Parts: sequence; structure tokens; C-alpha cells
Amino acid sequence: MPDETVTITIDGNEIEVEPDIYVLEAAERLGIWIPTLCNYRGLTPYGACRLCTVEATKGSRTRLVTSCNYPVSDGLVIRTDTERIRTARRILVELLCARHGKVGVIKQLAENVGVTKPRFGEGNEPCVLCGLCVRACAEMAKAYAIGFAQRGTERIVTTPYNEPSEACINCGACAKVCPTGAIYIEGADEIRHDEIMLGPNSAIAVPTMQAVPNVPALDPEQCLYFRRDGCGICAPNCPADAIDYSMQDEEVEVDCGTVVVATGFQTFDPSVAEQYGYGRFKNVMTSLEFERLSNAAGPTGGDILLHDGTKPESVAILHCVGSRDEHYHRYCSRVCCMYSLKFAHLVREKIGARVYELYIDMRAFGKGYEEFYDRVLREGALLIRGKGAEVTDFATNEAEQGKLIVKCEDTLAAVQRRIPVDMVILSVALEARSDAKEIERLFKLSSSEDGFFLERHPKLAPVETTTDGVFLAGCCQSPKDIPDTVAQGSAAAAQALSLILRGETTMSGACSEINEELCSGCRICMEVCTYNAISYDEEKKVCRVEPSLCKACGTCVAACPSGAIKGKHFTKEQILAEIEGVMQ
Amino acid sequence: MNKLTSTADLDALYSKLQAAHDPDKKAIVICGGTGCLGGGAGVVIETFRKELAERNLNDEIEFRVTGCHGFCERGTLMVIRPEGIFYQRVKPKDVPDIIEQTVLGGKVIERLLYCDESNGKKPIVHEKDVPFYKKQMRLIFGMNGEIDPKVIEHYILHGGYQALAKVLTTMKPEDVIAEIKKSGLRGRGGGGFPTGRKWETCRNAPLGPDKVRYVICNADEGDPGAYMDRSLLEGNPHLVIEGMLIGAYAIGSPEGFVYVRHEYPLAVANAALAIEQAREAGLLGENILGSGFSFDIRISRGGGAFVCGESTALMASLEGQTGEPRAKYVHTVERGLYDSPSNLNNVETWANVPIIMGKGADWFASIGTENSKGTKVFSLVGKIRNTGLIEVPMGITIREILYGIGGGVPGGHRFKAVQTGGPSGGTIVVDEKGATQRVGEPTSAWTGTFLPESLLDLAVDFESLTEAGSMMGSGGMIVMDETSCMVDVARYFLTFLTEESCGKCLPCREGLRQMLAILDRICEGKGEHGDIELLEELSNVIMDTALCALGGTAPKPLLSTIRYFRDEYEAHIYDKKCPAGVCKALITFSIDPQACTGCGVCAKACPPDAIYTRTPAAGETAPKLRKGRELHDIDPDKCIKCGACFDACKFDAVVKE
Amino acid sequence: MATEAALEPDVDLAPAEALIAKYQDSSELTIALLQDIQDHYGYLPRPVLDLVSERLGLPRTQLFALATFYRAFSLKPLGQHVIQICTGTACHVRGAPKLIDAFTYRTGCKCNDTSEDGKWTIQTVNCLGSCALGPLVVIDGELKGKMTTTRAYKDIDKILGKSADAGDDSEDE
Repeated sequence: MPDETVTITIDGNEIEVEPDIYVLEAAERLGIWIPTLCNYRGLTPYGACRLCTVEATKGSRTRLVTSCNYPVSDGLVIRTDTERIRTARRILVELLCARHGKVGVIKQLAENVGVTKPRFGEGNEPCVLCGLCVRACAEMAKAYAIGFAQRGTERIVTTPYNEPSEACINCGACAKVCPTGAIYIEGADEIRHDEIMLGPNSAIAVPTMQAVPNVPALDPEQCLYFRRDGCGICAPNCPADAIDYSMQDEEVEVDCGTVVVATGFQTFDPSVAEQYGYGRFKNVMTSLEFERLSNAAGPTGGDILLHDGTKPESVAILHCVGSRDEHYHRYCSRVCCMYSLKFAHLVREKIGARVYELYIDMRAFGKGYEEFYDRVLREGALLIRGKGAEVTDFATNEAEQGKLIVKCEDTLAAVQRRIPVDMVILSVALEARSDAKEIERLFKLSSSEDGFFLERHPKLAPVETTTDGVFLAGCCQSPKDIPDTVAQGSAAAAQALSLILRGETTMSGACSEINEELCSGCRICMEVCTYNAISYDEEKKVCRVEPSLCKACGTCVAACPSGAIKGKHFTKEQILAEIEGVMQ
Repeated sequence: MNKLTSTADLDALYSKLQAAHDPDKKAIVICGGTGCLGGGAGVVIETFRKELAERNLNDEIEFRVTGCHGFCERGTLMVIRPEGIFYQRVKPKDVPDIIEQTVLGGKVIERLLYCDESNGKKPIVHEKDVPFYKKQMRLIFGMNGEIDPKVIEHYILHGGYQALAKVLTTMKPEDVIAEIKKSGLRGRGGGGFPTGRKWETCRNAPLGPDKVRYVICNADEGDPGAYMDRSLLEGNPHLVIEGMLIGAYAIGSPEGFVYVRHEYPLAVANAALAIEQAREAGLLGENILGSGFSFDIRISRGGGAFVCGESTALMASLEGQTGEPRAKYVHTVERGLYDSPSNLNNVETWANVPIIMGKGADWFASIGTENSKGTKVFSLVGKIRNTGLIEVPMGITIREILYGIGGGVPGGHRFKAVQTGGPSGGTIVVDEKGATQRVGEPTSAWTGTFLPESLLDLAVDFESLTEAGSMMGSGGMIVMDETSCMVDVARYFLTFLTEESCGKCLPCREGLRQMLAILDRICEGKGEHGDIELLEELSNVIMDTALCALGGTAPKPLLSTIRYFRDEYEAHIYDKKCPAGVCKALITFSIDPQACTGCGVCAKACPPDAIYTRTPAAGETAPKLRKGRELHDIDPDKCIKCGACFDACKFDAVVKE
Repeated sequence: MATEAALEPDVDLAPAEALIAKYQDSSELTIALLQDIQDHYGYLPRPVLDLVSERLGLPRTQLFALATFYRAFSLKPLGQHVIQICTGTACHVRGAPKLIDAFTYRTGCKCNDTSEDGKWTIQTVNCLGSCALGPLVVIDGELKGKMTTTRAYKDIDKILGKSADAGDDSEDE
């Protein structure tokens, strides 16, 4: 509470408040209910609906005022429950019912003030002319795209000429503040499988269910405060005063000796495989999108639904999209067979739809995997051995109308099939991330032809890289499922820890050494060293070799134009002496 | 005209004009106000100009076109000086006679004189003897009949801007405010708020950074039937300008606005011209008369919205927004136009200021009653013999106005009610002892009452009208006779207000709409028991909760008519009859074959061509039917009950029941 | 509505530019500017409003609100002949409703509207301030006082070029 306060009385209750608030807020703090319709915390009060009218007594003078915009003053006495006020509320609500009586919010209001038989009729016009959208667009978005037009009984809320407005910035503030739903975002109810986001749509929200720390973060690109110098409604509403618009991203430099690279994978984008219709057909989705759809924290709360919100009656799951494929990736992505079976199980369990699995081979290699495969068969999934060839919507008969038709060759039955389904799931390949090359450059890693990072030895050193102190874990190294990733992660962590805890390290005596007096600071040696063993001293402007990292390969020795680097135990003289010794 | 850089310059100019002015010179002074122009004065003026030029009389005779003289019923008006001969209903064909016989020949033309119908039709020669003018006290309006508003020298000749000079050179702003307070001047827009106190509050209101104080003249006279402000602004704009100058000096304001409603083009033109001339003369602008005080005025036109007469809506309109009022919990004198202290006064209020400062507060306070000083201008219109603008001292009774000045109700009709002040009405309850009780709290300028015959002896002053539950209003006074249906009049006002409502707040927009729907039903013969009580219930809530005075006082005419003419409502609802014969659904028109002459005037007047001709039926007599003509009759299916035939028939053959 | 804008005849924007330049930087003159535009073009053409919005930096919603709030403005062109009937209290009491009937029936144009063929616009005005001359009608800017239904028909016929004699104010009294 700031230093200056005033004391007012509402319905016999005294309260001390700041002098710059309105009566309505003081009443809210006391828990006294006053009906409102055109008021919204964060927007300038408008005083149009008059529902919040109360009796205000200052000195000897009593008059009726609207509490949403009547300022408090010391000694003010407010009554919210006199007969006069209650009568006024009832009649005002009856007047509202004349045009809007069937609208939910108004029906509720009628109940709250005791109007049971509105005498002027019950309309169902959704817009109650409260003006909240106009004010939101003006004050929060500062776009001025929507406003009032005409006057008196003809008054309406509209855009100029009733056309879609160019000034609208699509922020959704108007829909948010509208009390009756008269303004809504079109298509908000559609399930857009290809646009499934991992988090909610608001500019400030907890990014994902599993975010760490599990607190809201503000997205400056969506936030109207940053986009339009408007809104700013969140900060004053936070009881902990935790919102600080001036926060900046910090760059933190951490000195470390070991790194575990666990940069993960990305899914294959099937749009390049046009035959599957991804991006063309609304109900063709990738496995990751389906995973999100069926997740209880997802946009549908876990319900498996088509784009138009209805339940599919049949689902086709196509294996090996992008994997085991000459055109895209020759390797097998390892995890898809099992998760595809999982999908079949989920579909059967949740909605009982018909499920078709189109596979080449069934790879059920792990613990309990074969048993799960059996179970899915028993649950009634229909497995077809044959890679899905094409997804089309071109129907050739009655039964195919309105469906997606999956064409394939059933190799076991030696026939070609056209399978009409409602939903198609593409089990896409796991591939190296598109930014993997940058990581490679940073840590001097190598990668295989398919883009995954190379371990030092496929059998004996699966988590180490050729650079000491840099380890690998997870799918950045190769596609693998969760148990394997966890195991690999633990291994990498253990190796890293062992380095850290050792305290001292043994080095081979052989390593390179730079003569600082001869070094010109050209840094060519740094470029050629594959072990990241050379660093540059900014102050002295010379290079330096880190003995614990140096593998004594001698490349820098050869590369140095000034001849400043010497390979210990492999100096020119020593080598020549060795050669001489052999020749004797 | 040269710029006046000091009060000495002004004095010199005054003396020069006085010296050049010959009060005995022959002059033709003709009214060029909007009213007379509408009645053909334009042609009369042109005819005079032409005639005078052709006869080479321009040096000998001064021809002056002035603003509104006030006696609008008798336009085109003119006065021949120096004798003061008053001619009315002048037509272009009278011009040669006037010039030859009266101006040059000194003879009076009887047919152009005003005849006092209440005194045996005695013709009256001189303006000052005309009863309409005699009983008035024309402090503000007097100059309208003398000066050409387009010539600033005329105003100065009559002492204009002397008050300003006195104020700028001998008085401090606080002294001016004290003087206005002492005079007892109260707002003439209807609110009656003490002007001096308003100025003081505005002067003392805290001023934000980069802000200035504003003075505003409210010329958005929207009350139908009221046109006092228009005639003032048209006929004597300098009076208003001088008033604003003095006020601006007292308050400390450098910028002023005159907000004129859209429908007053002549007022806008004359005011704009006056402002320009005042600037040229150095009476507006920087360092006025060398005093160091700077002030200028801009004119802003309204867009055609009655609600813009309300102060916050007016200011919103000035700011280029729609005329939506806002809550007045912080007054506009403290935070008004552009959130700055703004002093808004009515045209008539400003016009009083130079007179007060010129003749002194004590003199002003000697006129009127104890709590209402000075005069008030009214527009007397409707079913009254002498329609026009009148200026009377406060305290005069309504009866005196209606009969003494207005000449009573013409055409043999009976007085029924007078509506004072505009589309909003207050209500009066008077019991046997004459004690009064107030119903509903009058909240602002827009209140008006229906006063029946029994209350005509009420004195016109702020207090007595307020005590009786009514208010002065802006000055419109509309008289009704027995041919007016009070239910229809209440419906008329509600229709007006629903059309003019800005639509922002729920009670006004939806409440008035519902009340109008009920009244429509009643007037169509579909009234139900309980309608009157429902109207009263709605009225109380609307008055309690509306955002501004338009909605807040809108139910008052209705309540007032219910109070005094409840029997008419009951006739409509229970008997399905309209006693005054106005409400279309409840009346029928027919033609009495006994009186019909077959002249056919009714058929020509009928909009939907509902009148047909026929021969008399077997056994039907048609005594008045002219030879060769046919009887006329009305087809009830086509008849729209407009009453045009009723008005057109000169033989009383059309029967309305 | 988009098609309506497309059908709007080519509007000459040069006069509008001149008017806007006159009123730059004065928000209290926005309404005055719109009135000048209304006077010049006979209505507020959409391209002109867009131009005003651009030049003065005012949101289009504000201009649209002003254009539809105030009676002085029209978004549609007015008819060739504009008839304004005063419906102030004094005129009402003296029979203005009859005149509304007379004019609307005779011209086929609805009240406060423009006729389909663009020939007539009939408007009601709330008090022109010449109450002594009630009931008052303004036809094409000319004030006609003490109007009767018979004279109304004569005036309309005159405009339509029908009958010979026009309504002379000095006649039937």
C-alpha cells in the first residue's frame, strides 16, 4: 500500500485504498458483487451498460453513479444493495433481455439479479454493444481496426464498410475480451494437424507442460506490449510482481572441460514425397503430429479427431516413410515399427476404428517388443505387408467417396489394394538435424554419410568422439528409442564424470609445442588441428597448444609457416636421426 | 479599418463614428434574419437596393439590413427611421410605395401597419408602441434591430467593445470574476449555474504541462422550437465575441471556440465574418488593445447531432470524435476539452457579460427576482398569435408572456398547455394549498415542463420553477391548443430523443426504444392496462441510470403529460379514442355529403389519392353540391389519415372523429 | 460491399487534396473538413475518406464512425433534389407529419432516404429555427414556409416539369 490512502465505506464495510482507484475495484477487494458487462480489468472503463450503478454519498449529497469509473475519495459512502439499485438492475437486465435474452452471459445475469420473466421479450443478438472489443483494439493492440458506427438504436460495432480490415493485426484481443462470444476467431475449432504447436497460443504462457522451470514465459514476437507498445495487462495483474518487460536475454559464458553433445534428431518432412499427399490432404499427418494429437495435454485433450472435429472410422499407418528408401534415407530408423504398433493399439483402444498397418518388415527386437506385436495382432489391427505407394482422394466407387484411399501392393497376398480410410499416419524417418553441420564445426566432430555424428569406435567407444572431453548421446549419433537413449546418456555422463573427478590426467609425452617468440599469430595451426587442442591468446597475440588434448599428429608442425611449432620427440633432428639409425 | 492598438484608438474611433452619425438621417432598417429571409425578405431587400439605386437615393437614404427583430410572425419586418415607423408583412410590390410615400413623402401606409387584434384592430404606427415589443425588456436583443452584423463599425458606434476596454485597462481578472458573481448572472443554457462561480473554478483549476484553459460558446441550440441563440449569433455576433473576450481575460484563457450547430449556416457566416473583422481591428489576436492579453476564437460546426449540446459530447465533437458524452464525475471546468480546464457557456450567457461589465453588476442585479437576475430570451412558438423571440425580465409570469405579449391562442382555439425548455420535461405537483412537491430530480439544462392552464401564474425565474419541480430550460416556449394530443406530443418527443440518442448507454438506447414502442401501441389503439404504470417504472430507472442528461431527462415530458393529462392516456388505452383527433389509428375521416360542394380541393390535397367522386345515392340529399360537380368521398382503405383534406376543405365538409 | 466500392464512379481527388491541405493539423476541424467534402461532392466518397485517413493519419474506423454518426454526412450520393422537412416541435404541432406523407407519397421516396432512381432525397431536420414560418420545408436549399400539402404537390410537379404554375408563397393564405 502506498503512503497516501483514503478510507471509504461500502455497504457498511470500511476499506482503506489507494486514492487513484475506482469504487468497483474497492468493492471487489471486499468481495462485494456488483454486476458488470462493459468492464474489463486493464481497459479504460466505459460506463455504457450502467449495470454497476451504486448509490454514492459525499457529505450530504447522494447520487447514483457507475462504480466502474467513479473515483474513491476519503469519507465516501457507497450502498450497492438498496431497493432503488435492485430495481434499476432488474429493469436494465430486462432491457438487455429484449435483444439478448437467449445469450448465455445475459441469461446468467438475469438469474443473478432476479429477472425471471423479461417483459420486453428475449432476443438472441450476440453483440451487446459493450464496446470492449473497440477498446481492446484501440488500447491493447493500438490497431483501431474496429469501431462503432451509426448512432442511437442503429448503433453497431463494425469495421469500416463492414469489410475485413487491413488495420487488423490478428492479435485476437477482441475475441478474448468479448463477453458473449459475438467475436470469435474463425477456424479456432479446427484441428490443424500440420500446425499443432507444442504449447498454448497466448503471448505469455508456460511454454510446454514439461517446461523447466515450469513458469510462464513471454514471447516478444506475439506480445502486444512489444509489437504495438500497447496492452501491458499482465504486469499489474501479477500478484507477485514477477513480470518485467525490460528483461533481456543474457549471454552466459561457462568455462567447461567436458561437453556431452545430445542435440537430437528431426523428423523427415514427407512433403517432398508428394505421393503421400502430406500438406495436400488435411487428414494425412506425420507420426509426431499424431503423437501430439493423442496426448492428453494436446489440443484435443487426447481425443483422436479428424480436421473437422469428427472421429475417424478407419486409420492407415504407413511404415518406412523416408527410411529404407533409395530416394531419401537408406537406413532403418529403428523406432518406427514399435511406435506404429503403439498407434494401432491406441486407435483400437480409444475409438475402435479399423487400423491398417502397411509395413515392409516388422522390427520388434527389444524387451517385450515381440509380445506387444502379438498383442496388437490380437486386438484386431490389420497388417499388410507392402509399403504404401500412394494416398489419393480420387474415388472410383461409392465406398471410396470422401475418403483417403491408400494404394499398396499386398506382397503376401500378391494383390494390389485400394484401402479407403479416414486418416493416414506416416511413420516418418528420423534424420540428422539440418543444423548438425554447425555443431560439427564447433566441436570438430565428424559425421557419417547420413549426417549422424561419428563415435570414436562403433563397438568399443560408442559415446566418445575423436576429441577428448567431447561425448555423444542420443539420436544425434544414430536413431534409437528411449531405453537405448537413456543408456547411452548415462554412459556419456559417466565418462564425463570420470574425467572431471579424476583431478589429474595423464598425457603422452608426445605433443606439439609452440615457440611464442616465433609465432606470428596467424592461427593457421588452429584451423588444421582436428582435436581443438590449440587456442589463441588475445593478449599476447600468439597461439598455444593444450597438451592434454594434443594427439601429436604433427599436422600443425607441418602447417606452421613460421616454423614456430615443434613436435616433441618428433623434431626434425630426431626424425633424421631415427632415419639414419634405420639406414645403418 | 485600421488596427486599434490601444483603448485610446478605440475611443477615437468611437468619437469619429459618433460625429459622423446623423440620428435624423432617413434610414430604412430591414430584418435579414433567417426567419424573414425564409419568408421572402431576400427579394424585398434586393428590390429595395435596386429601387434606391435607380432613383439615385443612396446618399440621401441609408439602407441597412440587420439581424432578427424578433417579431417573426409578421415578417418581413422593417422600421423607417428616424420616425420609428414599423411595417410588417412587407412584400416586394410594396417597395416603391414605401420609398415614395413614407420615406420621401412622410406618409404612413396603413395596410402595412401592425393591427392590435386584441384592441379592436387598431393600427399601430411606431415600433415602440407595438404590444409585442412594449412589454419586453430588450437588453440583449435591442441592438439586433439597429446594427448590420456584417459591419463592425455599427457595433462600435453603439458602444461596442467599450466594456472590454474598461476591463483590460482598469480591472484585474479576479475583479472581473467578482463583478460577475455580484451581478448574479446564471447560465442561460438551462442549467442556471452561477456564471461567476464557474469562471472562478475554471480559473483556479490546476493546469497540466503544455495545457491551456479554453472558453467555449455553446451555440448547438438543438431544442426544437428554440432559436434565440441563432438570432443572437446572426444579428449581433460581436456582443458574444466581446463577452467571450472578457470571460477569457477573467479565466486566463488564450483560445476560444464557438461551436455552432450544422443547421445554422447564416449564423456561422456572420460569426465568422465578425471574428475576421475583429481580428483586423486588433480586438482579437495578440496583445489586444495594447494590454498584453492575447486571445483568439475559432468556429467549429456541428455535424447534425442534438446530443452535441451536452458539454462532454460537444467537447468530444470539437476533438474530432463522435458526440458521445462521458461521465462528469470530474467536471469539465477542471478537465474538459483535451483534458484541460474548459469553461462552456451558452450564447446568451456570453451576451450578457459586456452589458454587465458596461453598466455594472448592481444595475444588472436590480432587474429580475431575488435569485434570478437580468432578463431571459424566449422563443414563443406554436399555437400562439404572436410567434417570435422575446426578451423579458425574470419574474414575469407565464400568463403575461402568453397573453400580454403573445396575444393568446389564435383561430378561436383554446389554450391547452405550454411546453417550456425543450424535449425534456420536469413534473409539477400542486395540491389544494398550493404547496409544491418535487418529483424526480432535475439534473441539467435539458428540462422542460408541460404547464397546464392552472399553473400559468408561475413566475419565470430559476427558483420558482425549480421549487415547483421544473426548470427554466434554454428558452423555447411551445404553446399547444386543444387540437394537440398530449399522448402524441409525448410520443413525438420520445421519437425525437430516440433518433438523437448517441446510443452509448443501455437505459437511453434500449429504454427509450421500449417506451416509444409502448406509446406507439397506445396511439395505434393497442394500449393495454398497465401500460401507464410500466411507462412510469421505466422512466424512473432511465432517469436514475442514464449516462447524460439527454437520457436522464428524456422521460420528463412523458411523466409530465401523464401527470396532467392522464385522462387522455386513459381514453387512448381503454376507449381506443383520441380526444384531440390526432392519432391516426383512432380517428376516421369522412366527407359529409350535406356540406360537400364538390370543389375537389380535398382530392388535390390527398397524398395517396384516396378521394373519389360519386353521384348522390338514392335518397341522399346533397344541398351544397354545385352544378356539374360530383360528391367527393374518402376510400377508407386508402386513407392514411394525414388530415390534408381536413385542412384543405374550406366548407367544413370533412369530418374528423 | 467491396463490389459497391468498385462500382463507385471515378472520384476526382484533386479538390479533396486541396481541402485536406487547408485543415492539416487541426483535429477540431476534422468534422469541418468532412463537411466541406460533403458540400463539394454531395456525399463522402470512399476514396476521399481513404485519402483523408492517409493524409491526416486518422484511423479509418474514426472517419467511418463520424460519417455514420452525424446527420450532416452521407456515404451515398444524395438525390438530384433534396427535400428537407422540419420536424421541430413547433412545426410538428403545425402539421409537419402531413407534409412528410405528402412528399413521400408523391415522390415515391422514403423518408430519410434517397430514391432508387437517384432523383429525390427526403430528410427530416430537427428544427431549422424559423418556427414562425412553420411548417417549414427546404427544397434544394430554398426555404419555404407555411407549407401546405397542395403547395407541396405543385412544387414537386414543377420540378418534374409537369404543370405550369408553381407554388408562390404569396398566394393561398
